[in-house]
Amino acid sequence: MDLQQGSIKDLWKAIYNTGDLHHCFNCSTCLSGCPASHGDPPLLVRNLARKVILGLEEELLNDDTPWACVSCSKCEEMCPMDVKPFEMILAIRQWQSANDETRVPPSIVEIYKRGYTQAVGVNTDLRDKLGLPELKTITNNPEQLQFFREMLMKTPVVSANDYMFGG
Amino acid sequence: MELCLFLGCNTPAIRPDVERAIRATMPVLGIDLVDSDNYVCCPAFGAFPSTDIDSWLATSGWNLSIAEEKGCDFVVQCGSCYSSLRMGREHMMHHADKMARVNELLEPTGRTVTGKSKVRHVSEVLYKEIGPETIAGQVKKSLKGLHGIVQYPCHTLFPSEVVGFEESARAPKGMRQLVEALGATVDSYSRELQCCGGAGGFMKSTPEQAIEFAKTKFDAILDETKADFIAVSCITCLMHMENVQNTLNKRVGEERYKIPVFDYNQLLALCLGFDPKQVASICNVSRDSVLSRI
Amino acid sequence: MAEKKPTGTVLVAGAGISGIKAAIELAEGGYKVLLTDASTQIGGILAKLDYQFPTDHCGMCRMLPMVGREYGSQYCMRKSLFHENIEILPFTEITSVQGDGGNYKVELLKKARLVDPAVCNEMGECIDVCPVEVPDEFNHGLTKRKAIYQAIPHNTPKMLLIDREACTKCGECVKVCTTNAINLDAQDEVETREVHSIVLASGVKLYNTREFEDAKSYAVSPDVVTSLAFERMMSSSGTYEGGVIKRPSDGKPAKNIAWIQCMGSRNRRQKRDYCSSICCMFALKEAVLAKEKGGPEVDTTIFYMDMRTFGKGFQQYRDKAVDEHGVKLIRCRVQGVMLKPDGSLEMRYFDPETNEFFVKDYDLVVMSTGQIPFETHKKWADLLNAPLDERGLLATEQYSKIKIAGKPGLFICGSLMGLTDVSEAMSSGIAAAGEATNFLTTLGVDILKEEEIAEPTAHERENSLVSVALCKCGEKVGADGIDYELLSAELLRYRGVGEVNVIDSICKAEGETTTNDILGKTKCNRLLVGACQPFMYRRKLKNVARKAGFNSSMVEIFDLFGIARRGMVEPSVGDWTLRAAREVKSDIERLKYKPALHVSTLPINQTALVVGGGIGGMQAALSLATRGVPVHLVEKEAHLGGYLGNQVEHTIDGLAPVAMASDMKLKVFENKNITVHLNCEVEKTVGTLGSFESKLHFKDTNENTYLHHGAVIMVTGGHEGATTEYGYGTSDKVLTQAELKKGMASGNIDAGGLENVVMIQCVGSRQKEGRHYCSRICCMWAIANALKIKEVNPEARVFILYRDVMTYGFFEQYYTKARTAGIIFMNYSLENKPQVEMVEGNPVVKFMDTVLNTEIELPADMLVLSTGVDPEESNQRLADAFGVTLTEDRFLAEADSKWRPIEFQKVGLYLAGTAHSPMPLKSVIMQAEAAAQKAYTYLSGREVHTAGVISKVKDALCIRCQRCINICPYGARSYDEVEKCIVVDPAECQACGACAVECQNNAAEVTGWSDKQLMAAIDAKLMDDLLMSTAE
Ligand code: SF4
Ligand code: SF4
Ligand code: SF4
Ligand code: SF4
Repeated sequence: MDLQQGSIKDLWKAIYNTGDLHHCFNCSTCLSGCPASHGDPPLLVRNLARKVILGLEEELLNDDTPWACVSCSKCEEMCPMDVKPFEMILAIRQWQSANDETRVPPSIVEIYKRGYTQAVGVNTDLRDKLGLPELKTITNNPEQLQFFREMLMKTPVVSANDYMFGG
Repeated sequence: MELCLFLGCNTPAIRPDVERAIRATMPVLGIDLVDSDNYVCCPAFGAFPSTDIDSWLATSGWNLSIAEEKGCDFVVQCGSCYSSLRMGREHMMHHADKMARVNELLEPTGRTVTGKSKVRHVSEVLYKEIGPETIAGQVKKSLKGLHGIVQYPCHTLFPSEVVGFEESARAPKGMRQLVEALGATVDSYSRELQCCGGAGGFMKSTPEQAIEFAKTKFDAILDETKADFIAVSCITCLMHMENVQNTLNKRVGEERYKIPVFDYNQLLALCLGFDPKQVASICNVSRDSVLSRI
Repeated sequence: MAEKKPTGTVLVAGAGISGIKAAIELAEGGYKVLLTDASTQIGGILAKLDYQFPTDHCGMCRMLPMVGREYGSQYCMRKSLFHENIEILPFTEITSVQGDGGNYKVELLKKARLVDPAVCNEMGECIDVCPVEVPDEFNHGLTKRKAIYQAIPHNTPKMLLIDREACTKCGECVKVCTTNAINLDAQDEVETREVHSIVLASGVKLYNTREFEDAKSYAVSPDVVTSLAFERMMSSSGTYEGGVIKRPSDGKPAKNIAWIQCMGSRNRRQKRDYCSSICCMFALKEAVLAKEKGGPEVDTTIFYMDMRTFGKGFQQYRDKAVDEHGVKLIRCRVQGVMLKPDGSLEMRYFDPETNEFFVKDYDLVVMSTGQIPFETHKKWADLLNAPLDERGLLATEQYSKIKIAGKPGLFICGSLMGLTDVSEAMSSGIAAAGEATNFLTTLGVDILKEEEIAEPTAHERENSLVSVALCKCGEKVGADGIDYELLSAELLRYRGVGEVNVIDSICKAEGETTTNDILGKTKCNRLLVGACQPFMYRRKLKNVARKAGFNSSMVEIFDLFGIARRGMVEPSVGDWTLRAAREVKSDIERLKYKPALHVSTLPINQTALVVGGGIGGMQAALSLATRGVPVHLVEKEAHLGGYLGNQVEHTIDGLAPVAMASDMKLKVFENKNITVHLNCEVEKTVGTLGSFESKLHFKDTNENTYLHHGAVIMVTGGHEGATTEYGYGTSDKVLTQAELKKGMASGNIDAGGLENVVMIQCVGSRQKEGRHYCSRICCMWAIANALKIKEVNPEARVFILYRDVMTYGFFEQYYTKARTAGIIFMNYSLENKPQVEMVEGNPVVKFMDTVLNTEIELPADMLVLSTGVDPEESNQRLADAFGVTLTEDRFLAEADSKWRPIEFQKVGLYLAGTAHSPMPLKSVIMQAEAAAQKAYTYLSGREVHTAGVISKVKDALCIRCQRCINICPYGARSYDEVEKCIVVDPAECQACGACAVECQNNAAEVTGWSDKQLMAAIDAKLMDDLLMSTAE
């Protein structure tokens, strides 16, 4: 790979602009205990850090592995350089979402629609049977839901992809 | 003590018996729960935290404003909700500009957030606020004679300075002591601290490997312990650890993996004498072997 | 006459090896030393180690003074240390320090041992009866000890003490103690002492795996141990008595052993952003030894991040460990250890060589733990009211690792400077003693001078007649042990005995007077003293005897009580006395046949020669000259300053060598004691100890001068290595680090115009063909240059391609700083060196990135090569001139790479700085100071005594096989080409006896240890046994 052609020098600033990232010294601690590193292809946090540092835009855009992360944050705990790898994973996802609409997680559309990623509080019979109270969900509160949607509409990814949200 | 109950989505929608167990047990131990009306998604890490900071924090801020209005802290059972809310709050507390931005977004909705309400995990409240001894004192039906293993929710351990409450995130003790307080024997095993693997996209993107990963854990449980049950304190752990067993059984063609999984509050509720039909009725791995022995 | 000046007194706080070294140096220089240690014993960490790299032996005794040693006592250093001028106070804490500038009042808290070592007879019955068992900290809890115990198993005297925390005050020990040595109610004592100078040698706190959170994911089983505990597991006095290494949990032999490096170190998250410097070599050594002990089926793996083999000989050792011993090195930091039910320890790691994950089980995991420096530094800073620097370490003067900033008379050495290996601990201890001596000289305090007593020659030729003096040791032993009357009577009957006297306490002043009186009157010509602990009194008693006209070799002292008692469970007075009689007789036999030994004394020329006029050379010259020693300073170039002092404006740690050198030059030229010789080299040196004549050859004029001197310090430097690799020489875009540095400083290179810079480390270094060593400074240089570029142009991309980043110790922070600045470090392997191609006049570097496992192409507008440091080519001529040797790498070979780093085997010859190996400037200065101190002590002795006890050659028996020459560790033996025989240099021979053992023809013999003597001694014992058995 030719770094002159194939990389963007300041890409890291667009992705994960912290004082921590560059401290990565490739020790592989993050890899060695990561659940998602068992995947195929494996999620290799250390490699992602290097790709971000080097600014390998193409590679990063096409990399699915950040989405395999289980968010356990073990890497964050163990990284001796305090790179905060889990935050970096989220940052990569955010950057992917911002630059490739196909990356936008469908779950945010669900949340936009009803406040949650799934229907909550509709299982009233079951809840009754268990002696549970009725839930005051936002799904059932059109005024609040509207506020919520309007708020989200002012945030970057929702507004940039407003077509997905029926707006 | 009053705490604002943040339920998330899985618990009330799929496992309301866990919700019932929480609502039943906490008041007995002196914790009054108030509901979080109009709460929204925590937000899940795979949702707004994966798209942009603004929507993540605005959503966290929305939720936090509910607890702040009630003037108390949140109590959360779901690991992801707990971690997401807590990280969101932490972020706002450390970045004044973000806090300002969130309030700017919240303003038209009539909400504000200052960070004065904290986010607490239910196992922390039980372990630190109430304490295993008090709990032991309340037990009506003991788990004596039963062996269990505990599953620590990763989200309550790491990163320790943001979400942690254990003295040592690398050698936690809380869950063990809580289960022992109910009279059960807690067995140790090599993979006690291995993540269940259920959260995030691991299962979705590479299910084969995710199942294989979970298998190592279950094999270790079977080989190394006499576990009659698994105690968890996270809705994802609960559902995943049941589902995986069923999947594994299908794979090996026999009923090898059949250890009942309970949320801790369910076990607690049973020991406090609540009706299993209300507090522990929904499951994918039969709980009869345990219920019959309490 | 001026009033009597006080004797210079120095407190050395901390009796690890650097403290001991500083203490010995000061004591040898005639100062009084208080050597304290907070722990129960002296020796520090090294007391625990049986093995040190590279010999994989101990060798601690090699730090003892090499001259006049039969007056001192040579002894295993790990057992104890004895020196008349050193007062040792273990178990003593310093609680306050008052005063300033050469006048310090120190408050000492002497912790109660509850056992009085002056009274204790070391029978140890108390230990047997003590009912309390606790983990033994000396063996890292791997074994148990009692509440009353001996802190170090190999200590002499045993120095028993009671662990107050563990003791239940049951009183069992008190009951069995026959000497009333135990006082369970003894209290700590506070004492105030006045000293003129303080050397801090306390070392630092070490990372404790029980205390720190980040160790918890590893320390999951007793089979996960620290590297120090592992030393105890290998030690012959340790857990497995030197045998096969086992798992502590179940005693199963450990077949698979893994080391985890950087435990506790190099951790920005835990605010420990430093390297502990020594653990990489430690792990390599341990892995090699584990293989040697356990055989080839033992598998050893070291998980590391950078293998920091930066010191002299380190890289060779690493290569040997890997290539010959099969130690595996894997560049991965594992997240934790998992304990499986069968006790095995599972680790999962990512192997960057195969790019795969592995899950492996180990029997034993060793954590390479390091230092926790800040607490210790803070403590000292508070006590001394001294400043801390921005890192939180005691601030030292700008160019010094030793002098505490703004606090004249206060110094540090050893691991307070950052964990040090043995060699650096030695240099720093000597250097601290040197700085303290410099300071004390300016204070005008006095030194203790030994009385000059000529070695008498009387009695020598007469027939042997032995006077036996038996010490009663107060009433300590007499009462329950030996029947002195019976013993005296028995001995008087023995052939060759002239008289027997019983003396009360021979070690006390009264005893000395009595001895004096006896010797004054005696007809005998040999003296045999039976007392306790001969190593403590030998020197003193020999002096007493000498004053009375005895040749000191005619005086012997033996351990009456210890020997007599050994192996007797419950001796009756009768048994004991008989046994003592037998032992004494045997000693009498040896003494009877002992020849008188003579020591010759040679005057030492009081002038020093310093070869090399760089910063180190100037430092050594100035240090000696300010103490009044005339110095010849020889430099082969036309100007002083050397490479650093002429070429390098700034170093990464904030030093300005050029400015410093010009400052020093002024001082050198101003100093009347220094004569500078430029443009010349030492061509030949003749003469021996204490008196050399060196021929100086001047290149330009082709003239010669002859210098006379008593000591030599070789401080030749080095220069940047040359290369033809990576396109060097074909384009002005490929340059060396020094060229870049110079170019940027002069403005010839516009760093602001650089966009892509690639640096390649280890060019021609750390490989078998080429410099087979790490030049130690190039990583720092590259980082400094890279930071400079980033400073001028933060947008520039700087890549540093490295094999291991050698920012050991607190240099680690510069590595971190470089990454903070966005400098990108990429690893390459020796097998896969980068390739450079010139494309349109610009270098393009292609290499295999070990992280992404892909080929990367880096187009650069400048390629900078770190070509390392080459030794001066003149080293060979210098070595020839002085008859010393070079290492394979053409640096000067010191006497002992660990224990005597700045000396040669030959007395009076010293080395420092890059002549020894490449090192950073501050280390050069420190070594130069240490070498100056050595030379000063040597010269101020004014004369050298050749040893009395030395090896001889029985020419008639010798077949000239020369095996003894090869075996002699001191190079004392050589083959005389003219006389065609083996000769022994009496000044070099240390009487170790290796030659005598090696010689197949009995031709090599150490005086005083002849076969005749020893046979007679053995006969005496056997005969007595016969008599005794018939008597029964
Ligand atoms: S643990 Fe941290 S420093 Fe090590 S490779 Fe991963 S991100 Fe980099
Ligand atoms: S947080 Fe994600 S990347 Fe980090 S260890 Fe867990 S699964 Fe791996
Ligand atoms: S790199 Fe430094 S801290 Fe790490 S093991 Fe090696 S010497 Fe110790
Ligand atoms: S005794 Fe022999 S081997 Fe030892 S130093 Fe002397 S000559 Fe060398």
